[in-house]
Order: sequence, then C-alpha cells, then structure tokens
Amino acid sequence: MDYSEVTERISRKFSKSGKEIDRQKVEGKLRRLIDEFGVQPSEAERSVSNELAKEFNIPAAGSSGGTGAGAGGATEQKAIAQAQPGDWVTLEGKVVSLAAPASPAIAQSGIIADESGGIRFVVWAKSNALKMKEGAWYRIESAVVDEYKNIPNLKVHSGTTITEIEKTDPLIPEPSPIRDLRPGIGSVRAKVIQEWEVTHDRMLQSGLLGDETGTVKFVIWKEPGKEKLAVGTVYSVFYAQVDEYNERLSLNITTATIMQEEGDIVTATGGDVEIRGAIVHIAPGSGIIKRCPVPGCNRALSRQNYCPIHEIQPNFVYDLRIKGWLDDGEKTHNILLKRDVVEALTGINLDQAKEIAENNPLGMDEVFLQMRDKVLGRYVACKGREIENRLLVNTCERMHFESGEHAKLLNRAGGAP
Amino acid sequence: MSGTAPEMGRRDGSFEREPARRVFASELRECRYQFKDGEDEKSPTFVLLPTGERSNRIFIVGTLTEKTRQGEQNIFYRGRVIDPTGTFFIMAGSYQPEAMQQLAKIETPAFVAVIGKPNLYQKPDGSYLASVRVEAITVVDKDTRDLWVLDTAAHTLDRVDALATSTSPDIVKAKEQYPSVDPAVYRKMAYDALAQIKM
Repeated sequence: MDYSEVTERISRKFSKSGKEIDRQKVEGKLRRLIDEFGVQPSEAERSVSNELAKEFNIPAAGSSGGTGAGAGGATEQKAIAQAQPGDWVTLEGKVVSLAAPASPAIAQSGIIADESGGIRFVVWAKSNALKMKEGAWYRIESAVVDEYKNIPNLKVHSGTTITEIEKTDPLIPEPSPIRDLRPGIGSVRAKVIQEWEVTHDRMLQSGLLGDETGTVKFVIWKEPGKEKLAVGTVYSVFYAQVDEYNERLSLNITTATIMQEEGDIVTATGGDVEIRGAIVHIAPGSGIIKRCPVPGCNRALSRQNYCPIHEIQPNFVYDLRIKGWLDDGEKTHNILLKRDVVEALTGINLDQAKEIAENNPLGMDEVFLQMRDKVLGRYVACKGREIENRLLVNTCERMHFESGEHAKLLNRAGGAP
Repeated sequence: MSGTAPEMGRRDGSFEREPARRVFASELRECRYQFKDGEDEKSPTFVLLPTGERSNRIFIVGTLTEKTRQGEQNIFYRGRVIDPTGTFFIMAGSYQPEAMQQLAKIETPAFVAVIGKPNLYQKPDGSYLASVRVEAITVVDKDTRDLWVLDTAAHTLDRVDALATSTSPDIVKAKEQYPSVDPAVYRKMAYDALAQIKM
C-alpha cells in the first residue's frame, strides 16, 4: 500500500494551520496501524491526524462534534465544482438525489449540488451525522474529498459537521454538451438514439444518448420507481453520474432527475463510422446461437443450453450473429453483426439456419461453416458504431470491383517515373 | 489458437490484433530480414518488407494451383498461390488443423483468400524462401481477387510513397537491410498487376 498520498493529505491539512509534519514519522505510524494492526486506512488517517492535532494543540477535526463553527480553520469553504480529491472542504449545497446505500457501513449516499456543479457524497454510518433529506440545503463542514473509481467523492466522517440551512433556491443546472462531459457529475439535454439489449439482470435499460456534439452510453439500474426512457424522445438529465471505463464515458442516470422535453435535437452522427476491408477471421460463437428466454436476460447459452445466471433453459430462443475481425491492411477491427445483418450478408435466414442446425449431423457447426465459407476473405463495407473497441455493425455490404478505382490506381502507378 | 483473440480483446483493452498486410508475391519473395518485437518467447515475429513495413500477418487472394500432402506422422499440406506478380508458397500443418482441413478440401485450381503468417527460411545455398503459414483459407470468386489486386496495389503505392517522405523506424531499418531497393520497381510491380485485370 502507498502511504505517501495519505501523508501528503495530512501534511497539506496541517500546513494550512502553519504546522510542518514529520512525514517519515507519519508514514511510519500509518504503516504500523494499517500493516501491523489491520486498521482501516481511513481510520488510521483519522487517528494519526488527531494525534498530531493534539501535539500541535489544534482542535482536532475528529474530536466529538459540537466544536463545528470554530474548527473551520483547517478547511476552506468552496464551490462544489472546485472540490478536488485530497481537499478538506466546507461547502453548502442542496441534496439533489439520494441513493440506496451500498453497504451497512454507509448511512447515506447521493449527490449534493450548488450553482457551480454537483459531487457525489458518502456519509459513513460511524459518523453519526445529521440525516439529510432530498431537496434540502445543508452546510457541510470539514469533509474530505477523495476519489472513488476516478470520480471525486465527498466523504462525511465523524469530524464533519452538517447543519441544515434556510434556502429554497430551485437550482436548475445548466446542461453541458456531451462532448464536454468529464468523470463526476454531469447534466445533459439529449435524445435517446438507441436502446440496447440489457446485459445484466439488475439493469433496467441501456442505450445511447446524443446531442449536437456527440453521443454517450447510458444505463439505468433497476430500482423501485425507475422507468425506461423512450427512444427518439428528448430528455433533460440532471445530476447523472459520469463514469469512465477504458477511456470511454458512460452516464449512470439511475438517481438522476429526468425530465421529458418538447422538441427534437439533431444528434451528431460523428459516432457512426464506415470501415472497408476484408473479413479475416470468424470467431467461435458465430452462426446460429441459442439465447436465454428469461425476460431481460438474452444471454447466449452454452451448447448444453446453460445460462450462466438462469441455468438450464430448454425453451431457448434461436438467434444469428457473427463475431469476427475486419482488416483494412492497417488496423484490424473487432466486428459484431446482428441477425438482420447476418441474414443479408450470408443469404441464410434464421429459419434456414434453424433447419440446418436441427437436421444436419453437424448441427449448429454446419451453420458456422456455411457462413464462414460465405464471408471469410471477402471485402465488405461495414457501417456502425464503435463501442469499447468493437464495431456494432448496422449494415454490412459486399464490395464490388469498380473500374473507376482501377483506372485511378493505374494512373497513380504509372503517373510517376 | 486465433479463436481466443476476440475474448482477449474484450478483457484487455490494450490488445490489438496484428493487421494483415497486403503484399504482392514478388515483394514477399524479396524479403531477407525478419525480427522479433520483444524478448519474450511469445513475442511476435515480423518480416520486414523491402518497402518498409513490418508484417506479422498477410492477406492474399490468388489462384491455388497446386497442393501436396507431405509427411507421414506429421501430415502437412503445401500449396502454391499465384498472383499477377508471382507465387506465394503456403503451408498448413497439424498446428493449424482447421486451416489444414480447409486446404485439404479445396480442389485446384481455385481462387482462394488466405490469411496467414509469413516466415523466412534460409536454404542451404544461402538463398531465402518466404512461406506463409496458413491461419485460414477459403474459396472466393474472381471479384474478390480483383478487389485484392486493387487493394494491394494501393497499399504498395502507399508504402512506396512513404519510403520517399517518411523516416519511421521501420523505413530506416528497411533502407539498411535492403540498400539496393529501387522504389520504381515496386511502382512498376503495382502497375503491371493492375494492368493484368481486364477493363
């Protein structure tokens, strides 16, 4: 474990009161607590901080509540948008959403916002903090900003003081262009462009949101009272959680405030790409496959009709797909073709494939082989959307010889001495 | 073997499959230099093309004119694939069972598309032989062959152009390894290949 980050945080906190800490000593103490005594890192940080505070004769942040008003010296009041990981902050904001706590150690979690922006917060059960209500304004003194999954996160611990304040501002956030979204909390005004198959039992809906500047994946997890968005409709989505995974952003809008909007927006089609090349590999799992019939699951089953979640499913549903690699000579693209694209490209439709799978001695393998022989090594133009390094293909057409292209190349080859 | 590649790709965002380069038979025949990228036993091997590009994999379309079965215990197939500029020597052994079965089934002559890995061998007389270990082979139509000639001519011309302007490490290395390379030869090779396609 790396103690330097924690040490740095403690050092910064005390340097604000004009005190210099002995880093080596602090690091040693942290190491001893965490490594030898199995103390939780956050608890170790608190205990070392308190010890130092006593040493320097500063009212400790963690010394049982009440001293609130006077303890502001170590922290600054900040606009929420300015809160950076590593800061000790005091801020005022409105609780714009509350989420179901993910663990018994957490009393409350949600999003608090002011005019400058929003931040996710976590209130530890041990902190015995004031229980906050959605829609109300609070002053939070001496909380810590850290980072959880690359997203700034405000931690309310036992040294934090929460007081409700009189304020009834409606607080309507300014939506940002999708292109400008950053990990954290964000608001957008966007249209639902696509709805995708859900890939998880607990997922209510996933798909793609778009505005004039770009597109972003969104997900809604199943929670009481959550409703699906309608494809083609424009929504204002306030205080969504912007996650980053593999350098791609996605919006978790489960706890966001969602309002349906009038009108339409022309969405950027920048995400749509065309790749021309040769199909150089057809991966196993292509051809005819069986899918789990449980609503919302739709996973591909194994040969024994086994779904990783719902076990044996004898009443499976057949589907067609091709997974493979499309190569333009410079780069190889992972492609995924859905049933209608497969049917158009191979000339084999689902009924014919079913017929082959059920009557041929090789069964489903025969469909794989027939499809492979029809598409491997062929030049195609695929249009679709590239998501997580995979092209989800909407149309895939065979390319044909063009004499114009031929003439152009002859000129190019013969054009120079 | 290659079947696990897409899964790797999904798990590990950094995985990139080596692209299949487009190269005419008479350029591949001129290759004299191959190298490993990395120290690892499993590091990929690249054949450096005289026009200055590394290739770990190539895509070729041509006419399979001959195939022969060889070996007693370890059966493998050899074949010859002809393009407008020359001959590719291909082989598939028991380490590529699927490719070998596909090759065994094909009746010559036939237009075939081949995805495979190039390898250089030095013969006892000191000369080099480039052969292609087949990963996959299928029968295709003439349209696909003609498209490949266009595609390969375009890529060859791109490489020839880059030789004059770019100073990428592979181009510098190619100029070291193939000091007598004349870009005009490859330009003419592309022209001749294109000219063989009927308008």
